[in-house]
Amino acid sequence: MRLFEYQAKELFKEYGLSVPKSIRADTVDGAVEAFGKLAPPVAIKSQVLAGGRGKAGGIAIVSDAASVRSEAERIFGLSIGGEKPGVLLLEEAYPHDSEMYLSVTLDRGERSFVVIAAKAGGVEVESLSGKVIRKIPIDGIDEKFAAGVAEDLKLPPRQAEQHARILLSLERLAREKECELAEINPLAVGKDGTLVPLDAKVIVDDNALFRHPEFAKLHPEDELEGEASRQGFAFVRLGGDIAVVGNGAGLVLSTLDLVGDAGGTPACFLDLGGGAQQDRVEAALRLVNRLPGVRRILVNIYGGITRSTDVAAGIRAVLAEGGKPLYARVSGADEEEARKLLVGTRAKLYRTAPEAVEAVVKGQ
Amino acid sequence: MIIPGRGEPVMVQGMTGTYGRLHTKLMLQYGTKVAAGVTPGKGGQAVEGVPVYDTVAEAMEKTGARASVCFVPAEYTYSAGKEALDAGVTLLVLITEHVPVRDELRLVQLAQTRGATIIGPNCPGIIVPSQKVKMGIMPAPSFSPGKVALFSRSGTLTYEIAGQLTAAGYGQSVAVGVGGDPINGSTPIEWMDFLQNDPGTDVVVAVGEIGGDAEERLARHIKKSGYGKPIVSYVAGRHAPKEKKMGHAGAIIYGDFGTADSKIRAFTDAGVKVARTPMEVPSLVRQSL
Repeated sequence: MRLFEYQAKELFKEYGLSVPKSIRADTVDGAVEAFGKLAPPVAIKSQVLAGGRGKAGGIAIVSDAASVRSEAERIFGLSIGGEKPGVLLLEEAYPHDSEMYLSVTLDRGERSFVVIAAKAGGVEVESLSGKVIRKIPIDGIDEKFAAGVAEDLKLPPRQAEQHARILLSLERLAREKECELAEINPLAVGKDGTLVPLDAKVIVDDNALFRHPEFAKLHPEDELEGEASRQGFAFVRLGGDIAVVGNGAGLVLSTLDLVGDAGGTPACFLDLGGGAQQDRVEAALRLVNRLPGVRRILVNIYGGITRSTDVAAGIRAVLAEGGKPLYARVSGADEEEARKLLVGTRAKLYRTAPEAVEAVVKGQ
Repeated sequence: MIIPGRGEPVMVQGMTGTYGRLHTKLMLQYGTKVAAGVTPGKGGQAVEGVPVYDTVAEAMEKTGARASVCFVPAEYTYSAGKEALDAGVTLLVLITEHVPVRDELRLVQLAQTRGATIIGPNCPGIIVPSQKVKMGIMPAPSFSPGKVALFSRSGTLTYEIAGQLTAAGYGQSVAVGVGGDPINGSTPIEWMDFLQNDPGTDVVVAVGEIGGDAEERLARHIKKSGYGKPIVSYVAGRHAPKEKKMGHAGAIIYGDFGTADSKIRAFTDAGVKVARTPMEVPSLVRQSL
């Protein structure tokens, strides 16, 4: 789960990381009011999860109340990567000379958390030069480790001491809150040499959320996504007209590829997950039937831990209620029994995924 | 790397749960010698005639099983896995999805110090058709004995591709799901190295998906090591959006990191044939032989 900047900064403060004074605003009027409580110039920042916010025009620096209103209106209406902000963050601008980069992140290949630090920040991590990367011991880092990173960066003494303190806090935050990523980019170096985090990016391990109820209410929940997650399946809206449902992330991904290659546009990715039983299959199919823009449904099942007969029974039950045309490829464990369950229903049945995909894309 | 052999005793952790029961039955039907189950507090019961013990240590002492398939829920996978490794289990197959990443890291580290092999988590397990043994949840009819090794980050894609291979007459020496999470107990590179020396394997099929750089690392490893056997690959997710977790915890593109195109390029650059769809895999295997 990726936190919004304003949420991540609340977490930063909890861990003793000083960030510029800021106020969140849910409306244009709220933005104007917040501006009055801050010392200008103030940055108005769109709270979206999509990357490239600055380049897309999602941040404005304003010095007078009149431009706050117009800029807040503009940014509320600005879609970045298909996402419009529900919240703006108004933050006192911090005059600075240079920008650094600091993060604690999972290195999948090394199977370890690592610190990534660089003297020059403000750009994507991939394009950083002079990166210092250090593996983090599983129980966390100590002062000596943090000081070593600052030393590797060849920071002047006063900055080195601040840098080590910030890294210790960031690492503790990442570890205690079970984050896959806790990133400060940029970490600004002020005119007087003070280091201040200007942006905050935090991604919490979804699988560890059961140990962190404090995150449960952070996201404004999309109704369908919330329902999907309560049902235990993975669901991503994709904007097209063919709902793609299957069991297993890889299988559904490859089905999206087949649909895309055949000229179709998927409306969603829905992975029933391992071991979906009839009630979950029904819930999934009812959900995609309600998804705006869906014209046809493609179900691609390869039975393993999921029993094909459970899926077939679910399809049968939902088709009996009505709903969008459904194209199904059911294979694997109990395949023949599953097919028998679907005979006489409105489901169009196929033996292979390409056949089912071709049919659903053409709408035959 | 340890793989299961014919007739070796296997225990099932979490045997008394719904899926533990179902797959105990299916593993027994396939030929796996499931000798013990472990569920704390359920010692003395039996599932499919297999005795259940309270602890891994007891199950090991009574049956000699040193391999375990674990169906324990994600919240308890770390403690179950640790119990198994501490007791001396040498092959631990973790089927469970949604295990926290830090729990996985601790288990990986523990397995390394103990010299044990972990497969998974979030995987279908491992099957060796010629030995009539499977430790996992894969549907048996998709698999047949042969000379093609298959490993994948996705369970259902493993079945799909094994099924395609079987239908085309290419059986499998071994098929393993490395897991769909960011952290794998045993990595694609480790499997690749193992399969290089496996006399039963003539061709390796490597199935990847978006997210992370395991495929890029594997491709670099293949190029550097001058891999001695033909390799066919497939990568799922060419049409996947960015910044969205696509079902698996590990299947997410951040910026330009983890795209299918990058992985396909890396494989192509390493001289590995890349199938565009799962259905193309058998014909590329045919060309490789």
